Amino acid sequence: MKMPFHGRYLSIVIICAILGGAIVVQMVRINYTIYAQQLIAKSEDYQGIEKVIYPSRGNIYDRSGHILATNQVGYELGIDLKFVADPESIAFSVASIIDDMDYVNVYELANTEKRDVENRYFVLSSYVSKEKIDELARLKENYSERRQEQKSSKPSLSGLVWYPMQQRTYPEGTLAANILGFYNYFSRETAQGVYGIEEAYNRLLTGKPQSVFMPNDPYLVEALPDIQPGASLVLTIDREIQSMVERTLSDAIEWSGAEGGTIIVADPKTGEILGMASTPYFNPNEYWKYEETFPGITPYNRAIGTTYEPGSVFKVITMAAALDSGVAEPSTTYNDSSGVYWVANSWPIYNWDGGAWGVQDMTGCMQHSLNVCLAHVAVDLLQEDLFYQYLQAFGFGRSTGIDLASEANYPLRLPTNNQWVEIDLATNSFGQGIAVTPIQMVTAISAVANDGMMMTPHVVRSVIDRGQQYDVTPQVINSPISPETAHTLSQMLTIALQEEASDALIEGYTIAGKTGTGEIPTEFGYTSELTNASFVGWGPSDDPQFLVYVWLEKPTISKWGSVVAAPVFRDVVEQLVVLMRIPPDNIRLGTANE
Amino acid sequence: MKNQILQAYKQAPWRIQIQWIGLFLLALVLIAAITGLYLNISAQAATSGRKIQVLESDIEDINNEIADLTTQLAKAQSIENMRARAKELGFKMIDPNNAVYLEIPGYDPNADLVLAPPRVNIIAESPNVKSSYKISLWEWFIDQIWQPTKNSTQLEGVVLP
Repeated sequence: MKMPFHGRYLSIVIICAILGGAIVVQMVRINYTIYAQQLIAKSEDYQGIEKVIYPSRGNIYDRSGHILATNQVGYELGIDLKFVADPESIAFSVASIIDDMDYVNVYELANTEKRDVENRYFVLSSYVSKEKIDELARLKENYSERRQEQKSSKPSLSGLVWYPMQQRTYPEGTLAANILGFYNYFSRETAQGVYGIEEAYNRLLTGKPQSVFMPNDPYLVEALPDIQPGASLVLTIDREIQSMVERTLSDAIEWSGAEGGTIIVADPKTGEILGMASTPYFNPNEYWKYEETFPGITPYNRAIGTTYEPGSVFKVITMAAALDSGVAEPSTTYNDSSGVYWVANSWPIYNWDGGAWGVQDMTGCMQHSLNVCLAHVAVDLLQEDLFYQYLQAFGFGRSTGIDLASEANYPLRLPTNNQWVEIDLATNSFGQGIAVTPIQMVTAISAVANDGMMMTPHVVRSVIDRGQQYDVTPQVINSPISPETAHTLSQMLTIALQEEASDALIEGYTIAGKTGTGEIPTEFGYTSELTNASFVGWGPSDDPQFLVYVWLEKPTISKWGSVVAAPVFRDVVEQLVVLMRIPPDNIRLGTANE
Repeated sequence: MKNQILQAYKQAPWRIQIQWIGLFLLALVLIAAITGLYLNISAQAATSGRKIQVLESDIEDINNEIADLTTQLAKAQSIENMRARAKELGFKMIDPNNAVYLEIPGYDPNADLVLAPPRVNIIAESPNVKSSYKISLWEWFIDQIWQPTKNSTQLEGVVLP
């Protein structure tokens, strides 16, 4: 007997098979049409987005933990055309709330025909403050309520979107900006540190951005990888000292009529920079105004980025070489009978005042800053080989290696160079015809204040990465002179300063130091009255805890370092001893009641 | 006779239909149960996915808020603000000549700032999660099958007391 339902079952099976087959055929067909690639691409759009997650940029602290650079929230404001319903309201709101936004431009973007553009998202502003975004959010909510009341589609800010992101901020404003540099955060993909710490430690501060696929399908969502923030840095800079030297430098420039200047405060025992002021000052929170503050070739940080002829402060190096090599002793005398020293019977060298100072020992030569005496020491006693060997040992002609970006260096002109002439040896001895940066001078002279050891100057004290602190160990660059030479020269310069009754002296403290007046060459030679006025000093002489270098460029009140730079040095040190809690010598050495 | 015996043992047609319907319903119930289980697990997975997204968003918001508050605090404590506040409270810069120095044993004004623990060698500890929680049912099943073999292999060469 034939089953009654057999035919019907068979029909259903056949229909299902045909339908199934048709679906399979269609699936295969779709994969081979000309639209297949477009469809695949479109489907990928809906699968999710590839997002680069940027770690928070590390903070920068001063040596006491005060924040010098950190991050705050800013918003990227944009238009998502998919959701735009009312271009007029968007343009009006944005133009009225956000500065520098034009109604017409925003309207044109918001009114773009969606099908005409591949990218349906436009960035209106890369960084908008939280306050402005709050205003827009309130307006968006008001419009939404109004639409519900009026049951209409307008006004609407649909399609106006914002995404939070962190932007660099410097809470202290201009303070230490020349050391910090800045971070150009406007374009996130190309953002990087520029100058100073921000550039030198850019990779450490930035951390490692990571690309993550964020699926729209909730089944595929996974926790984001643990992205470590960038490393934070603790600087050797003391905020109080930095503020003090910046203020003092501003006052000094105003008082002296100088074009610019630098003050560096360093710890000669470790090479730590405690303060470093350099004009002009700059607010890194408005880094886009960089060109206004630093027009032309104005250096971002003169202390490391400008070479100049230092003048007589360089005599410290010449005398250190002479004492260390044994060609001279403090008691060695020189008879300055005529006030002129002839180099190879062709070039005369004169003293700063053009006068003759008679018989002088080496301390007297330093005290009266006699060019003829130092020329004699370099040319007759040290001679070429020894003199330039010492200059190289002191690091001249090489970068100091300070951990700041854009350190300048001028090559040392040696007797083996074609451009070197015989008079160079004499003029180099008193700091003319040689170009150095202030940080090179600080590094070299710190050897005299630190038992003959030159320390690498540095501004980073510790690095904090992944919850652990790594302290930077001070590094010795070289020991160009012996400890005995360093002590002897320190004593000579202490005595010279006291005998001279210098404006640099500070009551209660013994200081060693030297003035400098470097003539600035023009295209016709040393013909102008313009000078570089400088002073280097360290103290207390028996146990140096600070070294201060002052350089004022082209002062107008006087051209002499002893008149212009020495009082600035005193102003700095008077405040510095309080900030560094260094008691006067009689208390420190326990001789107050003797 | 043969036909009679066959007819006697043959199922009635309606019984066969009932059996087919029963089998079909059983299959349907099984499919429904599996589908229900699948939907339930899928719904849970989707909910967890959404929760993860919300939590990630919360983390980002909190990090942004922390960054904002840190900045506000830093600005409030900036040297200019602190100086202005000190001035308002009647403080003034000390005259170095009038400073009184007291020696405080053990106090080091230049002591290193510690913002984080110093670097130490960390020995990564193995996570304290049972291996059975990290493998699929199938892998566990295979493991169980191979377990006796593994144990016997491990025992080889062991000298028992």
